[in-house]
Amino acid sequence: MAEVALKHVGKKFGEVLAVDDFTLTIHHGEFMVFVGPSGCGKTTTLRMIAGLEDITFGEIFIDGRKVNLVPPKDRDIAMVFQNYALYPHMTVYQNMAFGLKLKKVPRDEISQRVRQTAELLGILEYLKRKPRELSGGQRQRVALGRAIVRTPKVYLFDEPLSNLDAKLRVQMRLELKKLHEKMDTTSIYVTHDQIEAMTMGDRIVVMRDGKVQQVGHPLEIYMHPKNRFVAGFIGSPTMNFVEHVRVEKEGERLFVVTEGLRFPVPRERSQALSAYLGREVVLGVRPEDLSENGVPDAQETFKAYVEVVQPVGNQIYIDVKAGGRNLLASISPQSQVKTKEEILLRARIENLHFFDPVSEETIA
Amino acid sequence: MTQKGWGKFFRFYLPLVLFLVFLLFPFYWMFVTTFKSDPELYNLKLNPFLIHTWSLLNVKHLFTQTPFLRWLYNTFFVAITSTVISLSASLLAAYGIQRIRFRGSNLMGIGIFFCYLVPPTILFIPLATMVFKLHLWDSLWALSLIYPTFLIPFCTWLLMGYFNSIPKELEECAMMDGASRLWIFWRVIIPLSLPGILSAGIFAFTLSWNEYLYALTFISTSLRKTVSVGLVTELVRGDVYHWGPLMAGALFGSVPVALVYSFFVEYYVAGITGALKE
Repeated sequence: MAEVALKHVGKKFGEVLAVDDFTLTIHHGEFMVFVGPSGCGKTTTLRMIAGLEDITFGEIFIDGRKVNLVPPKDRDIAMVFQNYALYPHMTVYQNMAFGLKLKKVPRDEISQRVRQTAELLGILEYLKRKPRELSGGQRQRVALGRAIVRTPKVYLFDEPLSNLDAKLRVQMRLELKKLHEKMDTTSIYVTHDQIEAMTMGDRIVVMRDGKVQQVGHPLEIYMHPKNRFVAGFIGSPTMNFVEHVRVEKEGERLFVVTEGLRFPVPRERSQALSAYLGREVVLGVRPEDLSENGVPDAQETFKAYVEVVQPVGNQIYIDVKAGGRNLLASISPQSQVKTKEEILLRARIENLHFFDPVSEETIA
Repeated sequence: MTQKGWGKFFRFYLPLVLFLVFLLFPFYWMFVTTFKSDPELYNLKLNPFLIHTWSLLNVKHLFTQTPFLRWLYNTFFVAITSTVISLSASLLAAYGIQRIRFRGSNLMGIGIFFCYLVPPTILFIPLATMVFKLHLWDSLWALSLIYPTFLIPFCTWLLMGYFNSIPKELEECAMMDGASRLWIFWRVIIPLSLPGILSAGIFAFTLSWNEYLYALTFISTSLRKTVSVGLVTELVRGDVYHWGPLMAGALFGSVPVALVYSFFVEYYVAGITGALKE
C-alpha cells in the first residue's frame, strides 16, 4: 500500500518533450489507468515511476519518499510487461522465486509464497515448466505471479494484455480487476485501449502528446470530456463531430444550426453558449445518443439518409447522411432500418457536447 | 527419376557435391600423401590419387624427427589463453556498449570495429616494439596477448549482435526484482547468450589456431613454435620440401579444429543467426 505522487514531472529525449508537466496523486489502493494513443508519453511516465527512465523535470514520490535518484531495485515496485519478460532459461517456479531469492527470503517461505500465488492464479501445475512450454495466457499469468509474489508497494502494468487474443483479454481483464479488489494494492496500468481503461480504472488519466488531458472517474470522463480529443478518444464507437455549427437565438431560446440540423440548446448550457451567439462551434454527439424513433416536427428530430447498416448483435450501427455529412448512430437491434432509406433520427439533446472550434475545449 | 527429381538433382545436389569435392580435396590430398612412402610419392607413373602401399614412415618422421607434439601443445596453449582473454574482455565490452549506453558508447563500438580493419602486416611493426619492451620476445605469452588485438573486436561485434536479440525487458524486470547489473549479467545475460558465446569462442579459437604472421614474427626458438609456423619452417629446408611429414603435420594439425567445430556446430549456427528461442 502506498501513495504515488508526481509533481510537475517532465521527460525530454534529446529535444523532444515526451512528457510535459505531469502532476497527479495516486491514492492508496487505487487502480489508476494511463490511456492515450501511442507516443502520448504514458509508457514513459510509467517507466519514470519504475526508475527505468531518468526524470528530466519534477519529482516523483512513492509512499512519501522522493525517488528521483532511487534505483529501481530500491523502489519496492513490480512491473508486468507487454511481452511478459519471463526468463526463458528458468522454470516457472524459478521465475517467480527470482525476486524473493534476491531479497534473501528463507527457502521455505519462498516455496510457500510461490505455491500460494500459483494457486491463486491457477498455474500450480506448471511450476516445473519452462516459459516456452506455456501458452500466451499462461505466460501472462506467470508474469503476474512473479509480480504478486513479491508483495510490492506498487504494481505497474505496461499494456499487459495487448499480446493476448480478444477473448482471453476480456477474461484476464476481469481476473486482474478481481485480483486488485482482493489485494488492494496501488496499481498503475498503461493501455491504449479505451475499453480496458474504462472497465478497469478507478480513475483514468487521458494523455496526448505528453500532456495530461483529463483525470477522472471513467464515467465522468465519458459524460463530461474536457476537450474534443478526450471526447473522441473515450467511447466506442467514436463520437460524431459536426463542424461549423452556428449558435442562434430565437425568442428566449438558443439553437445550434447547420445545414440539415437544428437543435435547441438545453437550458443549463445556454449561459455558456450565449457567449458564442452568432459564432460557430463544434457539435459533438455520441452514436448512442441518436435513436431511430424521431417524431415529425419535433425540435430534436432530423432527417437522415441511411447509407450503411452494420448489425453487431446487441446494437445496430447505421451510417447516415444528414445535411451533407456522415454521422454514425447506434440504434436498437429490433429496428427495421434498411439502407437507402430516409429515416427520422432523434438526438438526446441533454447529452450534446459543444467545443470551441479553435481551442477545442469543451464549452461549459 | 521424375522430372521434379532431376530438377532438384541439378539445382541442389550436383552443385552441392561439386562444392564438397572442391572443399574436401585438399584434405584428401593431405591424407593420401601422409600415408604414402617417398618412392611412391615421387613415382609419376602411378595414379597420384590412390595409395598403393600404405606406409607410416611420414607420421613416424613427424613425431620423432620434429617437436610436433610440443608445437601442438604450444598452439593449444596460445589458442586457449587468447580465447579466454578475448572472450572475457569482449563479453564485458559488448554488454557495456550495447546495454549501458554511456556517453560515447556508439563511438566506442565503432572504434573497436576499426581496430579490426587494420591489417596485421602493418600492425606487427609497432607490436614488435611493444613485445620487445615487455620482454616477451620469443615467448608464447607474446602471442596470447597479441591475438586478442584482432579477436576482441571480432568477438565484441558478434556478441553485441547477440545481446541485441535479448529483450531489454528481461533486464529491466530483474532490476526491479532487486538485481544488480553484475548479477543480471551473470544470471540472465550469460546463460541466455551461451550459443553466442560459444560461437565467438570457436571463432576465436580457430583464428588463433591458424594464425601465421604474428607467430612467425615473434617466435624464433623451434620448441616454442606453433604448428602452422613450425611445419613450414622446420619441414621446408631451403627449396627442399619434405612433403610426406609436411602433409602429416597439416593433417594432424587440423584434426583438433575439425573436432571442435563438429562438437559445437549446432550452437555455432544458433550463435551466428542470433536465434534466441523463448
